[in-house]
Amino acid sequence: MSDVHPPAAKELVLDARGLTRRYRMGATQLDVLQGAELQLARGEIVAIIGRSGVGKSTLLHLLGLLDRPDAGSMKLAGVETTKLSKAARARLRNQHVGFVFQFYHLFPELSALENAMLPGMITHRFFAWRSKRAGVRERAKALLERLELGERLKHKPGQLSGGERQRVAIARALAGRPSLLLCDEPTGNLDERTSESITNLLLDLAREHGQSLVLVTHDPELARRADRCLTMHEGRLVPAEVATEIAHPSASPASGSPE
Amino acid sequence: MYKLFLAGRYTLGRPVSYLAMVAIGLAVMALIAVAGIMNGFLAETERVIRGTTADVIVTPFPWDGEVPSRAKVAEVIEAHPSVKAAAPRFSRPAVFKMRGRDSAMGLSKFAEHFMVSVVGIDVENESRATEFDAYLAAVRNNPEGEGYAVESMERPFRLDRGRIRDPELRFAPLPRVLMAHSRMLSFGLKVGDALEIVTIPDSSDLDSKSFDASTSTFVIAGAYDTSYDKFDGATLFVPREDFPAWAGTDQEFNEVAVQAVEGADLEALKHDLEESLERELRMAFEVETWEDRHATWLGAVKNERNILFVLFGFFLLLVCTITFSVLTMLVQQKVRDIGILSSMGATAGGIGAVFALSGVMIATLGGLFGLLAGELLAAKLNTVKDWIEATFGVQIFDRRVYAFSEIPMDNDHLLNLGITGVTVIAAVFICLIPALRAAWLDPVDALRHE
Ligand SMILES: Nc1ncnc2c1ncn2[C@@H]1O[C@H](COP(=O)(O)OP(=O)(O)O)[C@@H](O)[C@H]1O
Ligand SMILES: [Mg+2]
Repeated sequence: MSDVHPPAAKELVLDARGLTRRYRMGATQLDVLQGAELQLARGEIVAIIGRSGVGKSTLLHLLGLLDRPDAGSMKLAGVETTKLSKAARARLRNQHVGFVFQFYHLFPELSALENAMLPGMITHRFFAWRSKRAGVRERAKALLERLELGERLKHKPGQLSGGERQRVAIARALAGRPSLLLCDEPTGNLDERTSESITNLLLDLAREHGQSLVLVTHDPELARRADRCLTMHEGRLVPAEVATEIAHPSASPASGSPE
Repeated sequence: MYKLFLAGRYTLGRPVSYLAMVAIGLAVMALIAVAGIMNGFLAETERVIRGTTADVIVTPFPWDGEVPSRAKVAEVIEAHPSVKAAAPRFSRPAVFKMRGRDSAMGLSKFAEHFMVSVVGIDVENESRATEFDAYLAAVRNNPEGEGYAVESMERPFRLDRGRIRDPELRFAPLPRVLMAHSRMLSFGLKVGDALEIVTIPDSSDLDSKSFDASTSTFVIAGAYDTSYDKFDGATLFVPREDFPAWAGTDQEFNEVAVQAVEGADLEALKHDLEESLERELRMAFEVETWEDRHATWLGAVKNERNILFVLFGFFLLLVCTITFSVLTMLVQQKVRDIGILSSMGATAGGIGAVFALSGVMIATLGGLFGLLAGELLAAKLNTVKDWIEATFGVQIFDRRVYAFSEIPMDNDHLLNLGITGVTVIAAVFICLIPALRAAWLDPVDALRHE
C-alpha cells in the first residue's frame, strides 16, 4: 500500500517528476528537493510525514503552483505547468488547487461565510458576480454546514475557536471544487481531541467527494488512514513505514525504494 | 470581484483609514477655505478699489501752463469712443476738526484734527463716472442708516436749515459736506453737525517758514458708505463749486475721473488719452489707470495669493505622506492575506488592485469629505468666525486692520473641485507604490511571513 505510485490506470490529477528546489543564502546552497516525484490519482489520499525542515512545505508550494521548481516537470489536471505564465498559473491554481495551512490564515475582517466565498469571488469577474453570487454562496454555506458551522456563518474568525477556524479554512479550500486539496499540517496547531475530530471530518469529506488530497502531518494516526504514506528522504519522496516513524522519529526512513 | 470587496473591508474596517480620510479632508478643507479667503481678498480689494477709484484718472500739471477749462478737458476726453463719462473734480488733502468740541485740557492740537482727502464734485458728473450714487444708497438702504441718509439723491448736498444743530449757524450760508457713515458713528456725529476743514490755499508760499491756512465751516448734509474702510475713513465730499473759495484756488478742477465703457482696454485708453490731450490742449497730463494708482497694494494681495500655491504643495506632500504611511501599514499587516490570496489563485495584478483600490477609497472619501467641509466652511465662514469670537472671546478678524468689514470670501466651486481632484489624484498615485509592493511580493515568502 505504501507506494510512491498510485494504482495504475487511474486518471492522474497530479504528476510531478524530478522536482528540484534549492535555496541560496549567500555562498551556501540548500538543496531541499532533489528530484522528488509524486503521482496522485483522482480521489486518492496521500500523507507525507517527516521531520521539520525536510522540505514538506516547499514541496506543497511547488505542487500548488505557488512556487516554481528549479528543475523537473509538474502536470496538474493534465496541464504541464512549469512553462506557464504567472497569470495562467494563478488561474490554474484558482480552478484546481485548495490550500489548508497550519495557522488557518483566515481573513479577520470577513465572516466565516465570506471567507469561504472568497475563491468564488476570485474566479468570477466583477460583472459576472451578480449572476454567480447565489451559487457561490450556497456552495460555501453547504460546506460550512457539513463542517458543523451552520450556526457560525456570520461570525468573524476572532469569535471562533481554533478548531472552528480550521474548519472554515477547510470549507474555503473546498469551496472552489479543487481537483487537488493540499493540507500543510492542518492539525498542527490544535489539541489532540480537536485534531482528531477535524481529521475525521477532513477524511470523511475527501472520501465522500472523491477528493484528491495531499496531507502533510506529524500525526502518525492521521497518516495511517491515508491511501499511501510517504516521507522525505534526501530531497525525495519515499514510502514510509509508519510504525518505524512512530517508534524512532529521528531515524532515517524505512528502506525500500521506488520501483 | 474580490478586489473591490476586500478593498472595502480593509478600508472601512480600520479606524486608521478613517483617520487618514479625516486628515486628507482637513487638508482639502483648509486649502479651500484659504483659497477662498485669498481670492476673496483680491476680489474684494479690486472691487473696492474699482468702486472708489475711477477707471482712469487724468491729472493736469498746472506748472505746465494755463489749465484749460473743465468743459474743454471733459470734451476732449469724452471724444474717445471707449470713454463713457468724464468728471472733472477737485481733490486735496486737508484736516478737519469737529466744531463745538473743543479740546480737553492738555491734549495736543493734533489729537483733535483728522487727516482727510476733500473731494469737490459735480454730483451729476460724479454719478456717471463713479459709483457715487451707490454710496449714498448704501446708507439709505441700511436700517442703521436712519437719520444719516441724504435728503435727496439728486441733490445730496441739500440740507434743510432747520436740521442744522447749532442755532448760531442756521442763517449763515454754509457749504455742505458728506461724511462716511462709519466715521460719523465713531465720532458720534449727526447730520446737521458742523466741521471745520483746514487746508493750505494755493496762494501760500510753502517755502516760507510759516504759511497761511484756510479754514471753512461745513455742515454735514448726510452720510455715504463705500464699505471700504480705508476710503471711508479718509474722504469727505463737498460741492465742487464751494471748493475754490475754501481752498483758495483759481482753478476749476485738479483731476478728472474717467469712466470707460464696459470691457475697454484701459492701457490702450490711457495711451490714447495721453496723446489726444497733449495734441488738443498742448499741455502734459498724467493719465493713470486704477491699477496704476493702487499697484503696490494689488501687487501685495496677488503675491499673497501666489503663496497659496506653495501652501498647496505642502498640503499635497502632507496628504501623500499620510496616505502612503497608511497604505504601507496596511500592506505590512496584510502580508499573510496576500499569501493566501495567491494560494487561492489571485493574480499579482489583482492583489495590487486590492490595495490600490483601498488607496482610492481613502483618497476619494477623504477628498469628498474635505470638499463638502470646505464648501460648508466657505459658505459659513463669517458665522464660524463670529461664533469663535463670541465663544472664546478672541478677535480673529479686525475690520480696522483690513479694509473690509467681513472676512472676504470668493468661493470658486470649480477651483475647489480642482483642489480636491489634484489632491485625490496625488494620493492615489502615491498609493500605487505600496500597492505595487504588495503585487510583487513572493507568495511563498508572504505565506511564511510571521
Ligand atoms: N526562503 C527560504 N530561504 C532559505 N531557506 C529556506 C526558505 N524557505 C525554506 N527554507 C529552508 O528549506 C528547508 C525546508 O523548509 P520547509 O519546506 O518549510 O520544511 P518543512 O515544511 O518540512 O518543515 C528548511 O531548512 C528551511 O529552513
Ligand atoms: Mg512546513
